[in-house]
Amino acid sequence: MLSKHARLWLGLIALVSLLSLASSCSKSSEDDTGDNGPTEAGKAYTAKGNEGTISGVVTYNGAVPESKKIDTSADAACTSKSPNLTTEEWAVKDGKLANTYVYIKEGTLADNSKVSAYSTWPGTPGAATLDQNGCHYKPHVMGVMVNQAITITNSDPTTHNIHFTPKSNPDWNQSQPNGAAPLTHKLARAEILVPVKCNQHPWMKSYVAVSKHPFFAVTAEDGSFTLKGVPPGKYTVVAWHEGGATGTEKTMEVTVPASGAGKADFSFGAAAMGQPSSLTVVPAIEFPMLNKH
Amino acid sequence: MSKGVHRFAVLVAGATFFLIIAGANVTSHDAGLAVPDWPLSFGKFFPKMVGNVFWEHGHRMIATGVGMLTIALALIIQFKERRTWVKRLGWTALAAVIAQGLLGGLTVKLLLPLAVSAAHATLAQLFFLITVSLAVFTSRSWIEPPDTAVEDSDAPSTRSLTVLALIVILVQLVLGATLRHSATWDEELPFGLLLAHIGGAITVALVLGFTVTRVLRRHGTEKYLARPALIATGLLITQLGLGVAAYLARRASPSDPQPLTYMVSLTVAHVACGALVFAATIVLMLRAFRLMRGTQRDYALAAA
Repeated sequence: MLSKHARLWLGLIALVSLLSLASSCSKSSEDDTGDNGPTEAGKAYTAKGNEGTISGVVTYNGAVPESKKIDTSADAACTSKSPNLTTEEWAVKDGKLANTYVYIKEGTLADNSKVSAYSTWPGTPGAATLDQNGCHYKPHVMGVMVNQAITITNSDPTTHNIHFTPKSNPDWNQSQPNGAAPLTHKLARAEILVPVKCNQHPWMKSYVAVSKHPFFAVTAEDGSFTLKGVPPGKYTVVAWHEGGATGTEKTMEVTVPASGAGKADFSFGAAAMGQPSSLTVVPAIEFPMLNKH
Repeated sequence: MSKGVHRFAVLVAGATFFLIIAGANVTSHDAGLAVPDWPLSFGKFFPKMVGNVFWEHGHRMIATGVGMLTIALALIIQFKERRTWVKRLGWTALAAVIAQGLLGGLTVKLLLPLAVSAAHATLAQLFFLITVSLAVFTSRSWIEPPDTAVEDSDAPSTRSLTVLALIVILVQLVLGATLRHSATWDEELPFGLLLAHIGGAITVALVLGFTVTRVLRRHGTEKYLARPALIATGLLITQLGLGVAAYLARRASPSDPQPLTYMVSLTVAHVACGALVFAATIVLMLRAFRLMRGTQRDYALAAA
C-alpha cells in the first residue's frame, strides 16, 4: 500500500508533468518582426527623386569564435569537392562581420505615412539564386521580397534536398539530383528569417529573409551594407545575425534626409552573441529572435 | 504449441526492437525528410545510400522486413495455434504494423508534423508491446507456469501495480517521443516538454521501483516473477543514467556543426533502453497475471 506521503508526491509530480506538457503545447506563435502578414493590397509608392540611402558597417568586437570543421564523410562527393568544409556562422575579417541581414523594420516617411502601408515599391528586385555548391549554400544569408522567385541550383555531383522550414509560410522540401534543372520557390509572407537546410547533409544551413519592401541588404566581407532608394523619413533599422542560441538582432533609429544618407553602424560582440566574455556588456536594445530554427 | 512458433515470435520482437533503434537514428540524424517521396525513395526501390539517405531508407528497409516477418508470424500462429485469442493477437500485430507503415508514410508526405511523428513513435512502442506479448504467450513458461499458487492479497494488488507501472512507462515513452520530435538536433528542447519528461522519469522510477520492491519482498523466491523484476530494475537504473547523459549531450548539440556521433549514440541508446524497460515490465505484468490468484475472499465476493 502506498503511504499518504508517497501518494501526495506522486500526485504532485503527475500534476507538474501535465502542466508542463500543457504549457509546451500552447507554443507561442509570437513573431517580433512586425512584418509577417500576408501581402495585402496597400498603397503603391511612387519615386519622387529625393530618395536617399542608409549605409553602415557591422563590426564584431572580441575574440572571434573559431569555425568548426564539418565531417562530410557521409557523402564522398562532398568530401572530394569540399575537403576542408567549416561552419560559416562567424564570417569575421579584420573585425568586420559578414552575413548580417540589415533591414528597415518600420518607419515613417516625410508625409507621415508608414513604410508598412505600402505594398508596391519602384524597381524590380533582381534575381535571387541559392546555389548548393561544395555541399554548402551560396549565399549563406540572403534577402528576397514576398513572392520573389528564388532560383535554386545544384552545382554538386550529388543529390540534395532543399528544405525551407519557415514559421509563417508553408514548409517546402524538394529533392534535387545532380544535373537536375533549377527549382523555383516563392514565399508569400514576410518572415525574418527562414532557415533552409538539407536533410541529406545536416550541416548545410542557410537563411532567407522575406520582406514586403526592398530596403534590406546582407553585409559583405568588409561588413558594409547599403539600403538604396529609401524615401526621406525616420526608420527603425535592424541588423540580424544568426549567432547566439536563437539568433541576435540589434536595432537603431535612423533619419534619412531628402536626397541624403543615413548612417547605421552596428556592433556585435562575444557577450551579445552568447559567447564567453570577461566583460558584462548590456546592449542598449537587443531582442533575441524567436523564429530561428 | 511448438518451440518454433515461440522462437519466431521472439525473432519478430527482436526485429521490432532493432527497428525502434533504426527509427531513433532517423530522428537523431534529422534524416526524416532526407528522402522526400514515399513509398518509393527518389522513385526507386533502392537509392544510393549516401548522407542521411542511409538512415531514412535503411529504416524503411528494416520496417519492410519487420512487416514481412509479422505477416509470416500471423499466418504461422493462425495455422499452428489453437488459442483463438492468440490468433487474434497475431492479426492485431499485422494491423498495427500496417498502420505504422502508413503513419511513417504520412510523416514524409506531411513534412513531419509533430502530432503524426509522435503518433508514429508511440505506435512503434505499442507494436513492440504486442510482439513481446506474443513471444510471452507462445513460450513454454506461459503454457506451463510454475505450480506454486501465489496469492495476491495485498492492496493494491501486485497485478494492479504492474499494470500501473506499464501505463506510466508508456506515457513516459510518448512524452519522450514527443520531446524528441519537437526539436531537431540544432534546436533547443522545449522546456515544458523537457520538464514533463523529467517528471515522467521520476514517476516511472517511483512506480516501477515500488512494484519491483513488492514483487521481490513478497515473491522473491519465485524466479518466474523475480527475474523480470530484477531485469526491469537494472534496465531502469541504466535508463536513468542514459537519460542524464543524453540530455547533457543534446543540450550542447545546437552549437555543433552537425549531429555528432556521441550525441546520436547516447540518445538512441536512451530510446532503446526505454523500449527494453517497457519490454521487461510487459513480461513482469503478464507473468504476474499468469501466476497470481486473488485471495479466497476475492473469489467469494466474485461468486456472490
